[in-house]
Amino acid sequence: MIREVVTDALLALATLTVVLSSVGIAVMPGAAAKLHYVTPAAVVAPVLVTLAVFVREGLDSSTGMTVIALVFMVAVSPYLSHATLRAIRARPGERR
Amino acid sequence: MTAFVIAAIVMLVALVPAGVTLVRGELADSVVGYEFISTVIVMILALLAEGFGRPGLFEFPVILAVLLFGGGLVFVRALEGWL
Repeated sequence: MIREVVTDALLALATLTVVLSSVGIAVMPGAAAKLHYVTPAAVVAPVLVTLAVFVREGLDSSTGMTVIALVFMVAVSPYLSHATLRAIRARPGERR
Repeated sequence: MTAFVIAAIVMLVALVPAGVTLVRGELADSVVGYEFISTVIVMILALLAEGFGRPGLFEFPVILAVLLFGGGLVFVRALEGWL
């Protein structure tokens, strides 16, 4: 019972993070400002989803695969955001 | 329907505002929208695999997470130099 409650709470937090980030991307002016809202969805939400899978399944192959995906996303996201921001700033006439 | 499937459906619906940005925004906005959507889809695939109890399907989010970097860099490179 307590395991299900914790799983639901973690999933709710992850979903809320994604929803708010998506709204932020739609609302904020300029690509550089929008880029800030990719990070919560790429770092915070995957950690919460991985924790939810771990709480439900324990240490098994599903958790392991989710952790591998999480590690890739967390490791890659900052580099991708940095490269994107550099590309945005290199373009003449883009809003910053 | 488990909480994992519900979370996946809500996340799919949450892609709509970012999708609108991708379709209607400027070029740089579209690249940001693409990065956001591809990131969230990794989570959606993991949630669906867990929700439907199919451990074999966890390979898809892992593969997409690996390809995320390459695909994103291709678009960023195009944005920076070619477009």
